[in-house]
Amino acid sequence: MILLAHAGHWLVNAAYFVPVVGFLGWLGWTELRNRRSG
Amino acid sequence: MIEIAHGIVGRSDLPIPEWLFGWAAAVVLVVSFVALAVLWPEPKLSRASFRPLPGLTRVLHSRPVDLLCGLVGVFLLVVTVYSGFEGSQTSTANFAPTFVYVIFWLGLVGLSVLFGNVFKAFNPWRACGRAVSWIARTAARAPMPAPLSYPERLGHWPAAAGIFLFAALELAVSDGDAPRTVAIAALVYSVGQFVGMALYGVEEWSDRGDGFSVYFALFARISPWSTRDGVVGLRPPLASLADFRPLAGTVPLLAVMIGSVTFDGAAEAPIWTGIAPDISDFFQSIGLSPEKALELTFLIGLIAAIAIVYGFYMLGVRGAQSVGGGFSTGELSRAFIASLVPIAFAYVAAHYFTLLLYQGQAILTLSSNPFGFLASNPLGEAGTDIFGTADRSIDYGVIGATSAWYWMVGFVVLGHVAALTLAHDKALTIYSDVKLAVRSQYWMLAVMVGFTSLALWLLSQANQ
Repeated sequence: MILLAHAGHWLVNAAYFVPVVGFLGWLGWTELRNRRSG
Repeated sequence: MIEIAHGIVGRSDLPIPEWLFGWAAAVVLVVSFVALAVLWPEPKLSRASFRPLPGLTRVLHSRPVDLLCGLVGVFLLVVTVYSGFEGSQTSTANFAPTFVYVIFWLGLVGLSVLFGNVFKAFNPWRACGRAVSWIARTAARAPMPAPLSYPERLGHWPAAAGIFLFAALELAVSDGDAPRTVAIAALVYSVGQFVGMALYGVEEWSDRGDGFSVYFALFARISPWSTRDGVVGLRPPLASLADFRPLAGTVPLLAVMIGSVTFDGAAEAPIWTGIAPDISDFFQSIGLSPEKALELTFLIGLIAAIAIVYGFYMLGVRGAQSVGGGFSTGELSRAFIASLVPIAFAYVAAHYFTLLLYQGQAILTLSSNPFGFLASNPLGEAGTDIFGTADRSIDYGVIGATSAWYWMVGFVVLGHVAALTLAHDKALTIYSDVKLAVRSQYWMLAVMVGFTSLALWLLSQANQ
C-alpha cells in the first residue's frame, strides 16, 4: 500500500509536466522529420 | 520566511484536480500562439507610440517631489537599520524583516508593474549619492564627473550578484530573517552601492549595477508608464520591454530572479525535503556544523534551481537557433530575454500573493511599533503606538484559499501569454522571414509551457 501511495504521489507530480514533455516530444519529432525530408 | 511564504489553508473545493489547471494553461498558451501567428503578422510593441504627459512630468520631476521621495526612501532605510539593531530580535515583531522581505521586496514589484519605476524616486542610495554629488559640485563650483566609465563587460553582473546574495540571505542563511541580520545586510548593501556610485557615477551605477534598481526597473517596463528623454508618458503595456536592450549579465540576472522563486517553492516539495537531509549529512560528515551544513545545502539548492532555469531557457534558445536565420546562441538569448520578465513577475505574483496579502497587513502594526517591544515591558524599553495601530491583527479572511488559487493561476497564465506575445513580437523584428520567425517561436512556446508547468507545480507544493 505504501508503494502504491508513493507511486500515486509521483504520478500526480509528473502529471504537471505532461504538457511540456509532450510538446517537446512533438517538436523534436517534427524537427527530425524536417531534417530527413531535406 | 519560508514558513510564512505561502498560502495559509488548503484548497479543497476546486472543481478539477490542480494538475489539470496546468494542462488547461498549456492549452491557453498553444491557442494564444496560434492566434499570434495568424493575427499578429508585424511587430507592434516596439513600434508603439509614446504619449507624453508634460503636466505630470512637471509635477513628478519637480524639486520638492524629488526631494520628498528621496527623503522618504532614506528615512525608511534608517528606520529599517535602526529597528533591526535596537528593536526586539523576534522576526515577526520587528519592523525590519517584514518591511524588507514583504513590503519592499514583494510590494514594490506590484507597484512597479502598476505605476512604473517608482523605486527610482524613492531609492535611498541614489538619493544619498545625488545629495553628496550636489554638495561636491557646489563646493567645487565645477562639474564632478565619475572617475571611471562603467565597463561594458560589467553590464548587469553586479545587479545579478546583488539579487543572488539577497535571495541567498532570504532562502539559505539560517537567521536571514533575524532583525539584526537584516540591518547588517542593509548596511553592507549600502556600502556596496556608495562605492559603486563613487566609482562610476550615481545614475550610471543605479541604472546598471544596483541590483534592486535594475530588478524593479525591469518589472516597471511591463507597465504602461514610461519615461523618454526625461518626459513621463504612456505606451501600451509591455512596449517598454520590447525596446529593452540587454547587457552582459542580463540573462543570468533573469535566471536568478526566476530561479530564486523556483527554489523557494521547491524547498517545500518532497523531492527537496527528501534529499536535503542527505546532502546536509554529507557536509556534517566532512566537519561542518549542522547549521552551516544546512545553509550550504540550501545554497546548493538555490544555485541548482537557478541553473535549471538558465539551462531550460538556453535549451529553448538553442532550439530556436536550429531553425536557421544565422543568429548565434548569444544573440538569440539576449534578443528574447525580455520575454522572461513577465514570467518573473508571474512567478513572484503567484508564489507570494498570499504572503503579501496576509503578512503585508502586519506593516500597519509594525509602523506603530517598529521596535516590536511589548506595550508594557518590565525588563526594558516599552513599545510604542505611533499611529494607534499597534494592536491591529492580521485579517486572514481577506481572501479564501480557493479564490487565492484562481488569482495565482491567473497570474501564471497572464504572465506567460504576455511573455509569448513579447517573444513573438521580437521574432518578427529580428527574422526577415515570417515563417522562420514563427518556427523559432515553437521553441519559445516550449519554454513558456515548461515554465507554466513548473510554476503551477510549485504552487501545488505549498500546503499539500
